[in-house]
This record gives sequence, C-alpha cells and structure tokens, in this order.
Amino acid sequence: MAAPVLELRSVTCTRGEAVILDEVSLRLEEGEAAFFMGAAGSGKSALLKAASGLDVASAGEILFRGRELSRMTRREEAEFRRKTGFVFQDAALWANQSLYDNLALPVRIHEPGLGAAAIDAAVRRAAELVGYDEELRARPAELSLGERRLIGLARALVLDPELLYMDEPAANLDEESAERVHEIQAALKDRGRSLFVASSSSAAVSRFADRVGVLRGGRLLAYGSFDEAAAWTDPALRGITGRLKARKAPPRPEWASSLAGAWADALAEDKSAVDEPEWKLRDGASGDGDIDSDADAGPSEGGGEEDGRG
Amino acid sequence: MLERLGRATIRRAEEASYAFGFFAQVMRESILFFRRRQVGFKVLVMQILFTGVEALRISAVLAVAIGAAINLIGSSLLAEFGQSKLMYSLLIIVITRELGPLLTAFIVIARSGTAIATELGGMVVAHEIEAYVAVGVNPISYLAAPRLLGVVASMLTLDVYFNLFGLAGSFAVVQLIKPIAFDEYFRNLLEVLGAGDLLMGLLKSLVFGVIIAVASLYRGFAVERASTEVPVAGIRAVGSSFMLCIVADVLLTAMQYLG
Repeated sequence: MAAPVLELRSVTCTRGEAVILDEVSLRLEEGEAAFFMGAAGSGKSALLKAASGLDVASAGEILFRGRELSRMTRREEAEFRRKTGFVFQDAALWANQSLYDNLALPVRIHEPGLGAAAIDAAVRRAAELVGYDEELRARPAELSLGERRLIGLARALVLDPELLYMDEPAANLDEESAERVHEIQAALKDRGRSLFVASSSSAAVSRFADRVGVLRGGRLLAYGSFDEAAAWTDPALRGITGRLKARKAPPRPEWASSLAGAWADALAEDKSAVDEPEWKLRDGASGDGDIDSDADAGPSEGGGEEDGRG
Repeated sequence: MLERLGRATIRRAEEASYAFGFFAQVMRESILFFRRRQVGFKVLVMQILFTGVEALRISAVLAVAIGAAINLIGSSLLAEFGQSKLMYSLLIIVITRELGPLLTAFIVIARSGTAIATELGGMVVAHEIEAYVAVGVNPISYLAAPRLLGVVASMLTLDVYFNLFGLAGSFAVVQLIKPIAFDEYFRNLLEVLGAGDLLMGLLKSLVFGVIIAVASLYRGFAVERASTEVPVAGIRAVGSSFMLCIVADVLLTAMQYLG
C-alpha cells in the first residue's frame, strides 16, 4: 500500500512556554483535500506551517510520502519543496522583487536548465491561472491585498505542485476572486492534487473537503471524512457541523434565483440550520449525497456569504 | 532563586549554542556560495553596491579629515621632541593599522549593519523568509551568504580606500605647512610601511566584516513576529557589532604587539 501523501504523528509545536499544537496526528491520502476549521487562534496556521516544515515541530514526526521531513537530505528537501506549494494568508510576496521575479524565482531554483522563454511562459501561465492580467513588472507594494494574495497563489502554483498548503486562500477576497480560488481548488482536485487547507469558509469546506479537521487550542478535536464530520455530535463541534449541513441542503427552487428570492432563501436556510433537529438535518445531508455538486453555493454567494458569516 | 539562576544559565547556553550554530552555517554557506547554483549573485552585487560603493564618499571624507588631523597634531607635537621623521610611522600606525579598519567598520556598522538587521527583520515579520523556505530557497545561502561576502569584500575595499585617502589628506596638509615633493612624501611613507602593517589592516577588516555581517544577520533573523521588534533588531545589531569589533581589535592588536 502506498504511503499517504502526508502524515503527521503526534506533532507538537511550542512557542516559548505555550503549546501551539498538541500531539496532532492525521493522514492525507493521494488526491484528497483536507480542510481544517476552527476559531481564530485555534492553531490552523500553526498546523499548516508545521505540516509543511516551515515551523519546526518540538516533538512528533511529519512524513511526506513516507519520508520524514526532519531527516530529509538537502536534495530530498529540495524535491519536497518542488512538489509542494504554500499559499500564505498574507501573500508573503518578496517586497523587493517585481511580481514577475516573485513568480519566476521558484522556477529558476528548481528548473535551472530552463531558458528565459520557458520561464516566461510558466510565469505568464501562473498569472493567467489566477486571473491576474496586469503588468508583472510592478512591485507587490503597488497592489491591493487581494491582488497580492492572487499573486501569492500563482507563486504556489507555478511549479504545478502535487500537494498544496493553503492558509485561508479565499478570505478577504472579492467574490469574483474568491470564486476563482475555488475554481482553482476544483481544478486541482480534478487533477488528483492533494490539498491541505486552513479555512473559515464552510462553503469551501462543503464544496471540496474529503476530510475535515477541527482545531481548538492547538488540539485536533476531530478529523474524519466529510460524511463523518457531518455526523459529529460532540457539542464542541456542533457549530461547525451545523454549518456544513446547511451547505448540503437540497437545491433551491428556481424562484429563489431572483435577488429577493435569494435573500429570502438564504435567511430561511440560516433559520433551518439553527432550528431543525440535528438528526433531521443529517438525514437531509446524507440524502444530498454529492458534496461537490455544490447545489446551494453558486459562484456569487458561495464565498461571500460564508466569509461574511465566518 | 537557584532554580531561576539555573534556568537563566540554561537559556544563555542555548542562545550561545544557537548563535554558534548560526555562525557556522553562515560561514559554511558563504564558503560554498560560488559552488552553488547562483540565484543569490544579484544579492551579492547589490550588497557590494550598498555597503562598498555607496559608502565610498563618507569613507573618503572621513579618511582625508583624519589624515589631515594626524598630520596637523603630529607635526607640531613631534617637532617639539625633534622627531618630525616619526610622522610617517605615526601615519602608518594610526591610519593603516588601527584607525583605518576600525573607522571603516564603524561606517559599515552605521550604514549596513542596521540596514541588514532591519531589512531581514521586516522580511521575517512579513513572512518573506518563510516564503523563501516554502519555495525551496535556503535563506542562509540566498540571503545571508551573499550579504556576508558583500560586507567583507566592501570592508576590504573601503579599508584600502581609507588608507589611500587618509594618506592623501595628510599629504594635502603637508603642502600647506611645509611643502614637500609628492615622490619624497610617498618614499618616506613606503620606508616605514611594512608588509605586517598592510596585512594587519586587511586582517582586521576581514574580521570586522565577518563580525558586522554575522551580528546583523543574526539580529535580523532573530526577529519573531512583531514589527516593533524590527528597530530593536537594528539597535542590537549596532551594539553587538561595535562591542565585538572593539574586542576583536584589542585582541588582534595585542597579538601583534605581544606575540
């Protein structure tokens, strides 16, 4: 049996005296998308950084395709970085380099034999993928935060990674950009890529998650398949499962497509998510069956509505 | 109290161990810099431009002023003892061996030490260092090694310039007080200038360059999360560099005179 693309074994991270990740264990199989939810400060970003080797774990093991990160040789680590991408919450573009160089550097590092034309093609393809068609000679400071984050996503995609770590990839983006991020996530899944995502958007989780994890105070309270997550009954998880179930409600009738109807529907949906008994919602959810069908989270309201709520 | 003392000692030991490890890694990557695939070459060129070329003017002005001052003071003081010939020895000792490397180091600390520490600190806060790691770039080989090499190369070059301008400044003053032919002035200087003086000046510049670069890099990378840490990193880089350069200067001078 092939090793999982990513595995964490009792990973603990500390900062000073504080424990920011507490014995987290999980597996991510090839082609799966794992989404991690939790309140601000619950450890989502810390988990991503530990799992990607950006933060050093004080205990435990992190394995990429069976190889432990801390024991990788320089060449193995370069290969790991070549096959993975990281989308930062605040873009983390290199301020003293042009957007073009921000996108080109990973290619230059990992494909030293590529000529300028091939690098240029890779850079333009990545920018096009995220829908950025402005001048790439600009510096990051000249862009809005949303644009910077799109370029940050493009940088993570420029080498077509097998595993993509994404820290709140659609948060604080306008609806069009958020939907583009979701489209990219869908395309990555279609191509069999693995996703490891910290997200506050239950819309995105409902659309793409194969596995859902819930963090609180650095502890992974629960981690399971989407269907398992929908069935969690622990009071500590109820808020999150409630939102996931709401996303799996049956498609709205056609009349709801008008703006007023959509508002009414959204309000009714919110109300039903709060009022209906848990077992009934769960039945409704399992009847829906297809989490990727995204019947209720269309392009316009998917990210925006949930982001606003989350 | 004993427990607190023990903990503080352990923390200090850990910090020292980390600092030594950092130093060793920076030195290793700097030695291997020209053997690695070089995307950091541009960083090296920019560092030399900023630390070396752009500091040339202030270094030249300072050197000319120091050379002139030494000549003015020395010529009146030494003449009282009938030892005017010692002026050339004094110039070599002060400019080439002692003040040249030290003042050059101070210029580099003030300009580049703070710049390196605050720039890197800002990059840490903005997660830019993590972004380098995430795309497979080793920040030590890409950011630290070229900066160290740039600072050392600039220190050596600036020291040579300091010597030239310092001795030239002295010559200019000589022309005002007691005009002397250019070739006679430099012949007298060369008579007292030994290889040891030149080597000691260059050795000090090399050591000071390494100290300034490593201290500034260390302070910059030591920033953790808050932007308020960035100016503190700059201040600490200056403090550490000054202190370590003076200590190193005393040790090297002692080695030369006592060894």
